[in-house]
Amino acid sequence: MKLVIFAGTPGSGKTSVIKYVIQELKDDYSLFFAKFDCLKTEDEKFIAERYGIPTMKKLAGELCPDHYTALEIPKIIKENQDKDIILLETAGLCLRCSPYIKEGLGINVLDVISGSPDRYGPILTEADIVAISKGDLISQAEREIFRTNVLRVNPKAKLAEVNGLTGEGTIDIVEFIKASPEIKTEKLTLKHSMPSAICGYCYGNKIIDEAAVRQRYLQGKELKNLVPNLNCGKCGFKSCNEFIRAVLDGKAKKEQCPFIKKNN
Amino acid sequence: MIIKTEIKKITILPGVNKLGEKENFEKIEINKGEIVAIVGPTGAGKSQLLYDIEKLVQGDSKSKRVILVNDKRASKKLRFEPKRKLIASLAQSMNFLTDISVKDFLILHLKARGKKFDSELIKEVIEEANEITGEPILSGTNLLNLSGGQSRALMISDVANISTSPVILIDEIENAGINKEKAMQILVEEGKIVLIVTHDPVLTFNTDKRIVIKNGGIVKILKTTLREKGIGHYFNWVGNYGLEIREKIRKGEKVEKVKLFCESIK
Repeated sequence: MKLVIFAGTPGSGKTSVIKYVIQELKDDYSLFFAKFDCLKTEDEKFIAERYGIPTMKKLAGELCPDHYTALEIPKIIKENQDKDIILLETAGLCLRCSPYIKEGLGINVLDVISGSPDRYGPILTEADIVAISKGDLISQAEREIFRTNVLRVNPKAKLAEVNGLTGEGTIDIVEFIKASPEIKTEKLTLKHSMPSAICGYCYGNKIIDEAAVRQRYLQGKELKNLVPNLNCGKCGFKSCNEFIRAVLDGKAKKEQCPFIKKNN
Repeated sequence: MIIKTEIKKITILPGVNKLGEKENFEKIEINKGEIVAIVGPTGAGKSQLLYDIEKLVQGDSKSKRVILVNDKRASKKLRFEPKRKLIASLAQSMNFLTDISVKDFLILHLKARGKKFDSELIKEVIEEANEITGEPILSGTNLLNLSGGQSRALMISDVANISTSPVILIDEIENAGINKEKAMQILVEEGKIVLIVTHDPVLTFNTDKRIVIKNGGIVKILKTTLREKGIGHYFNWVGNYGLEIREKIRKGEKVEKVKLFCESIK
């Protein structure tokens, strides 16, 4: 099985590129596509209908969408053992997280008019493939300057110039996917650690005040020690952290978590 | 790292079309300084042919074609060098988006290509661009203030002179405000292999031959006839005459008369 993760800022052309890639791969491989987003998406339905492959959507809601993606990857792999290639599309909101997996293939779809590549963190610097999109909007010279800058910040990257409207560059991406390694181990590793999420704001604090942040952090920490951190979903929330926030916001009761209830 | 191998000639050996049938030609040779058009309906397989050339495929792509460089099979090193870019392209929409002067931009491009500052070369790029467009470009002008015709002319001259890619792909070039024949001439003089995806009569008939693609396969190679070349020149004359009239309109002049007959080719 191969695991391919597409990351890129919203509007960079991820979905358009993925559609062409699926079109090209679907006859020869059994595919699964998972779309991660924050609030709303219908892309998974569209892709399932048009290309006839199984898809799913995952909405992160109150969670950091990239942390959520990392949390969900093992489940997706477990449920799709019969597939040849799993394609994941991240929400693409954070340049810092972008959960690329060492054992899989990480593709950054990078909009050529998004400015200097120096501003990007791991989403670009840790990608195996950088798919430069919308190159037709600028000149050859500007494209060459952009390519040079991309290779400066990520010298190991393989480059492809893609066009989500015409499908140009799809063949390159497909070849890179075909040449990518199979996942052999059960334990996958992130290419880079995600940023810390350890303050009161992570537990849902809204008051801009040092004391309020600290208080909310301590309350959160206390609950964090009580929950199983298994994200089992029995409380009705997608993850333990989301549940903790709801409890602190007064939207849920502690006892909704069967583990807390049992231990009391 | 710039690949040292100079590409003098590219040869396409036949593969198969989408139905798996063998393409009906022995070989297609394209030499340095030659222009070849690629024609065919949308989805016919033009992109696959360009991919095959860009990747110097050896029967390992979908089309099973083989591309030879200077009559030889391409080495692994040449094929998989990640920084090599065989094809430079001029796309349909041609606008600059960088807020910088023409001169500084060309310097930036030279640097990106790993070349040293060369004031003579920069002067030449601007001079050649001015042969393609009606309104002269000045080195201090901001890129964003160039007209459509000026932008396109500068891009063509820049690709001819600064890009190291030996093959230039032109995809249905937007032609308002430029002398198309002159533009092709500049690319060819700089020793580029020029591939044009087009159905424009000036560009098509200005080539030596055109590759016709259907169903993912090359179905025939048409040599441009003398008669077609004449038709191409005629349309180029009409286009350039249109440029003259545009200039008159720009200057606020009245245009009451029009020439009906093509002047002889210089």
